[in-house]
Amino acid sequence: MRWALALLLALAAGAGSLYWVTAGFTALTAEDARRQAVASDPRPLPDARVLRPDGATVSLLEDLRADGRVAIVNFFYSRCESLCLAQGSQTGRLQQAIGERGLASRVRLLSISFDPRDRAHELAGYARRMDARPDVWQFLSFADPGERDRLLGIFGIVVVPAPLGQFEHNAAFHVVTPDGRLARIVDLDDPGEALRVAETLAAGAGR
Amino acid sequence: MSARACLANASAALALCAAALVWRAPLTALMSTHMLVQIPLLVLAGVCAEQAWRAGRDRVPRGDSGGRSAAWSYNEYGMPGLLFVSLVGACWMVPRALDEALIDWRMAAFKVLGLPVAGWILRASLRRSNTVVKLFFLGNFCWMGAIAGLIYQDQPVRLCNAYLQDDQAWTGNGLIALSIALPALWLLARIGPVWRYLNR
Repeated sequence: MRWALALLLALAAGAGSLYWVTAGFTALTAEDARRQAVASDPRPLPDARVLRPDGATVSLLEDLRADGRVAIVNFFYSRCESLCLAQGSQTGRLQQAIGERGLASRVRLLSISFDPRDRAHELAGYARRMDARPDVWQFLSFADPGERDRLLGIFGIVVVPAPLGQFEHNAAFHVVTPDGRLARIVDLDDPGEALRVAETLAAGAGR
Repeated sequence: MSARACLANASAALALCAAALVWRAPLTALMSTHMLVQIPLLVLAGVCAEQAWRAGRDRVPRGDSGGRSAAWSYNEYGMPGLLFVSLVGACWMVPRALDEALIDWRMAAFKVLGLPVAGWILRASLRRSNTVVKLFFLGNFCWMGAIAGLIYQDQPVRLCNAYLQDDQAWTGNGLIALSIALPALWLLARIGPVWRYLNR
């Protein structure tokens, strides 16, 4: 009898731990957990000073507010030879879709570099390589490492230095509203969903 | 003899725990050392602590075995204990646990406190279990480790945000090696009872 009770207790404690570790049996990876947490509870973003390709330094929250469009944000570094190229081509497809569906007045794309080596010159060069339309797809870089780390922390982006001056980082489409809230994170393989979410949010905001 | 065993095991437990904590930065810099070195160190610290406690307790002569039989009936054949340890083991096969242990103090506490406790329970339960129960839980743990290892080897995407892709594949290799080595070592050490069981 005591044995059965102990067995039940062990099962409850062990299964409870597993439940907690997997965020209620829903997420095996931190990336899944991050996406679910944001979907159920959108996060306000802290401000950070950012560099533009024209050399100006502006406040990110101010930029989001002034622009007024819903932004689909992703993170990159211009020297990337792997993931960012795939991410860049997916974002390119998004740019095309935004143009074709006449959404440029409501949705824009924002690629932010986390690499301190990326200054105005590198951003401008990267924008050219990506065939970015300046009114639809903008590029930024961080002005201050402390502010960068804080913002990346809220986004849940982890950048790991890799050999040969490369970085490995988690990538996704982050839908951010003009009031500076991270509303949803969508997989890189599903740009259509990112656009749909952004469109819905823009419509909800009355634009 | 028993006093010496107690002291030796207690020092081993402290040394293992200290190694896992003092070198936590280099040990958690790689997924492979985090999962295959630091976590086993913490579990082994618990195992040694239980052995030290056991040796210390046996040093004091006891009139009756009342305490022992009560403990026995709570953890008969070690099955509740081994079930708990298996589930804790499963927790640490989840990539999110490794990621969160680096940034969330609660997961870090679950690692640093929970794993020695699991090691303690593991050792105490193994004392009470028989060969069949041991084989069941060892087999269960090893196939779980091997499957996790295969997944880590083959995943084209990173499962941990904090670790590199190559490192993940190495962790997979290590988990598979562990899943082969553990039963092989156990079989070598315990060939007698297994042989008797098979020929009973």
